Amino acid sequence: MRYGMVLDLKRCIGCYACQMSCKAENATPPGIFWARVLEKEEGQYPVTTRIFLPVLCNHCKEAPCVEICPTGATTKREDGIVFIDYDVCIGCRACMMACPYGSRFYWGKPKDTMYFPEEPTPYEQAGLERYQRATVQKCDFCSHRLEKGLEPACIEGCPTKARYFGDLDDPMSEISQLIRERRGFQLQAELGTDPSVYYID
Amino acid sequence: MKVKEPKSETVKEDVWKPSTCLQCYNSCGLLVHRVNGVAVGVEGNPDCPQNMGRMCAKGKAALMTLYSPSRVKTPLKRTNPEKGIGVDPKWVEISWEEALDTIAEKLKKVREEDARGLVGAGFNRMFSNDFQFSTAFGSAFGTPSIYTSGSAGYFCGNNIHPIWYLVNGTFHSEPDFHYCNYFILIGAQHGFMVGEDTVGNAQRCSDARLRGMKVVVVDPICTPAAAKADDWLPIRPGTDAAFTLAVINVLLNEVEIYDADYIKKHTNGPYLVGSDGHYLRDRATKKPLIWDAEDSKAKTYDASKIKDFALEGKYKVNGTDGTPAFQLLKEHVKQYTCEEVARTTTIPAQTIRRIAKEFGEAARIGSKIAIDGKELPYRPACVYWRKGTNQHKHSMLTGWSIQLMNSVVGAVDVPGGMCGINPRLLPGTVRDFSFGPKEGPDGLLEAQLFRKASIPWPPREVKRPQSVITLFELFPAAPYSTPMWDLVVQNPEKFKLPYKPQVLMHSWGNMVMTSVDPKVAAETFKAFPFQFSFAFEIDETAELADIVLPDVHYLESLDPALQMLLEASGVGLGNWTFQVRTPAVKPPPGVRSFHDTLLEVADRVGFLKDIYHMINVLNHLKEPYKLDLDKKYSWAEIIDIWAKGWFGPEHGLDYFREHGFLTFPKKVEETYTTPFNKPRIPIYLEHWINYREDVKRVTEEMGLTEWDVSDYQPIPDWKPCPAYEEKSQDYDLYAVTYRSPFHDMSRTSNNIWLNELSEYHPYTYYILINSQVAKKKGIEDRDLIRLETKWGNQVEGRAKVTDCVHPEVVGIAGAFGGHWAKRLRVAKGKGVHYNSLIPTGLDRMDMINSAIDCCVKIKISKVSRGTK
Repeated sequence: MRYGMVLDLKRCIGCYACQMSCKAENATPPGIFWARVLEKEEGQYPVTTRIFLPVLCNHCKEAPCVEICPTGATTKREDGIVFIDYDVCIGCRACMMACPYGSRFYWGKPKDTMYFPEEPTPYEQAGLERYQRATVQKCDFCSHRLEKGLEPACIEGCPTKARYFGDLDDPMSEISQLIRERRGFQLQAELGTDPSVYYID
Repeated sequence: MKVKEPKSETVKEDVWKPSTCLQCYNSCGLLVHRVNGVAVGVEGNPDCPQNMGRMCAKGKAALMTLYSPSRVKTPLKRTNPEKGIGVDPKWVEISWEEALDTIAEKLKKVREEDARGLVGAGFNRMFSNDFQFSTAFGSAFGTPSIYTSGSAGYFCGNNIHPIWYLVNGTFHSEPDFHYCNYFILIGAQHGFMVGEDTVGNAQRCSDARLRGMKVVVVDPICTPAAAKADDWLPIRPGTDAAFTLAVINVLLNEVEIYDADYIKKHTNGPYLVGSDGHYLRDRATKKPLIWDAEDSKAKTYDASKIKDFALEGKYKVNGTDGTPAFQLLKEHVKQYTCEEVARTTTIPAQTIRRIAKEFGEAARIGSKIAIDGKELPYRPACVYWRKGTNQHKHSMLTGWSIQLMNSVVGAVDVPGGMCGINPRLLPGTVRDFSFGPKEGPDGLLEAQLFRKASIPWPPREVKRPQSVITLFELFPAAPYSTPMWDLVVQNPEKFKLPYKPQVLMHSWGNMVMTSVDPKVAAETFKAFPFQFSFAFEIDETAELADIVLPDVHYLESLDPALQMLLEASGVGLGNWTFQVRTPAVKPPPGVRSFHDTLLEVADRVGFLKDIYHMINVLNHLKEPYKLDLDKKYSWAEIIDIWAKGWFGPEHGLDYFREHGFLTFPKKVEETYTTPFNKPRIPIYLEHWINYREDVKRVTEEMGLTEWDVSDYQPIPDWKPCPAYEEKSQDYDLYAVTYRSPFHDMSRTSNNIWLNELSEYHPYTYYILINSQVAKKKGIEDRDLIRLETKWGNQVEGRAKVTDCVHPEVVGIAGAFGGHWAKRLRVAKGKGVHYNSLIPTGLDRMDMINSAIDCCVKIKISKVSRGTK
């Protein structure tokens, strides 16, 4: 069992719904988006285009963040999810240095950790109770949803069906087939991290 | 372990409630996760055909608006008599009793003097339901001006709705992504998370692209749609008509690809036109004549046994020369050579030729497809247009030029083409309701909608304005004339308004920011002696009110019949979808629903029974499910009666509280209507010749000699907008605006998550300037720059130096930057406000559909260096 994702760059239109779905699902603090869209321009006018690249934690099979974590807070679960135990994390941020994808985020001091510190909204209060201050956080493939048999929030919400989730170890899963049929690739595969997030275009 | 149990007390409640989104007006079905009374999650309802479980960034950010600290929670009264931009109203909190008493007293007085003095302004809240509560309220009170705002007219479809009424018989139309193989977007991003049916169309368009649909985007900005397109054709703003007329020229005169059979049988293309531009008519029946090429004889268009409709040539009928309308079009477009048009549009001639040929070939003229056992014409190519083409002087001619591209290849209401949304409902599909296009005068299609609308066919009478404050009687070809409102309210004598605007009832739309230059727009609001606003947050428009009434958030709201017959349900087979937005959470104490408040006001003023009566009439309510004028109902009770009346006793409000929506399968005849329609559609607008004369006569009588009627012409032309006259070297760039996939007009700008996304995004809060131009002008990325018109309007913002914009253009996103309202604590000061550059005036309007010209030339200057 190895959870993985396939992101279809042909379908992706840069609408940022995944970035917001993730925030709404996980109530991440200000300045932190676990799922992001990276944009860049290519070409020179008038032969120009914009490239949209949705990114998130790659849940690497050979995860540098797991190796470097001094406390064992970051572990690789049997289902392939790279997981942080906030009770064990000491916020040293070594993992952030180790991650080549910039997909880990430090949740800072109380002062700047809420959207409306003077009047915290009931939603935000409820959401932030899930985390601990001064720790590192990141995408966990919405493991709380997986436990309920639901797909990660970014998958469920994507308006163009550009995101797929499943088991990379199962050759017959939808994502394994997509990777085979449409020549899926990983980001910076040359680093040897073996990401569980694949792209097709 | 990572996910901690909530520290709060034990979970007393953990439920999912259906509701309907209103971050934009597309009504996506929702499931709201509620724990202990607090909404903690919003997900797409997978069963709802509107969005099939998916959602956009705006919808996902709902909770930050629902729980925004900027919300108004008590009625407020202005104590500072001075109103204006940046002037503190000095609000004091008042009781509901005092607020409603004051409003009722003002309304009583207006109703006694001249009820037309009450004007409603707003958008979503008043407009986005077919239940027509606002119309009922206005009619019962006695005013015709109940949703007249700069808002709707400004951003909305000035050049689309009138055309789609004529062609598809519908308010709204869409490309058929189920079958389309070649899709051209002009000044639009339909299918790319902008426009109508956003989420549904994003899925359908994505599926279509994956199966190979080609996309061509004609736009001065490389929008996300353009980025994903097979071709991005950057165009000089306001020249879209030249482009499309050149494409039509290539189709008709160079490659000769057009659907002659369709034009003969389904359009007025064969109608004979005389030298005066009018049809030649049969003396006895007055019906338009056609020429039967085989019998060499003129016949009425509907004569039996017509062997062959002549589309070309010139024929003598009773001594008068007559030319088929199609022949006139074919000759007319010859002046739009690709070479000439290339100079106008900056799109190379060979590109125009290539696109025309590809479009024509992709239409597969003559081909058929079987759907659900019915053989239908198959025209998998269409062109769709929107705001970018809309907001110009002469935009009606532009819209009509674009539509003609679809018409000449027969891609109208057939699989793969441009199709009306809900043109026909057959009896038996949704109980005994039915409507559909019928044959109007001259054999042309007359839209027959469930909702009575101001459709432009049959021809309307042009007369001195007596009713709507926007002089609707002078716009016979348009469904509304809302942008006139600034001019008329500020100059009632000039426009001979037969009554005085007295009270403004405002809800939701932030027209000060979403219409024209806010300095002008604010004067309009100030011109009303009394304004009361239903407000969720106090934006710039509500800040001009005398009394503010706190309104519910949409997740707390009960709204019936959203959009269902106007824009919902999509093209193609699928479902008729009827939604009722039911409250997922309770409003905060002190906040009351918009509808219950208005019913209470009506009761105090004394016209509640009239509202009940109008609700019965407008919604076709019959015994036993009809309102008893002698009883008193809550809003929820009214909705329950309506729902049972429409959908049967088992489908009352309780049903919708549990399910959110109700569907009925669509039939082929209800969605692909052309093969089942007897009436024809116009390619030649003969009646506009009369409009030209009628509007000229009436406006001259009124002393409005500057009223330009020259655009009423039966065959369109490209005409330069006023900005083209600007030859000064200083004012050398056009400012244009474009829409963002994660904002909806100005209303989402105070959402703190969407603000964060906008700050994260590389373009949203910046002014886009072409890299080569920036280099010449010494402007670097993030420099603070100023844009200034020759009228002195100006905005400042940070430069984004990019290759994604036409070199003659600077681009500013959406209508949401530059807020100043004191209580919009998130939005205040963010982004750039495009509309601040836009003046208004009769010389800057399309005088057929009242679109305000957004083509402005600006001078650019550097204010300060940017910080990296």
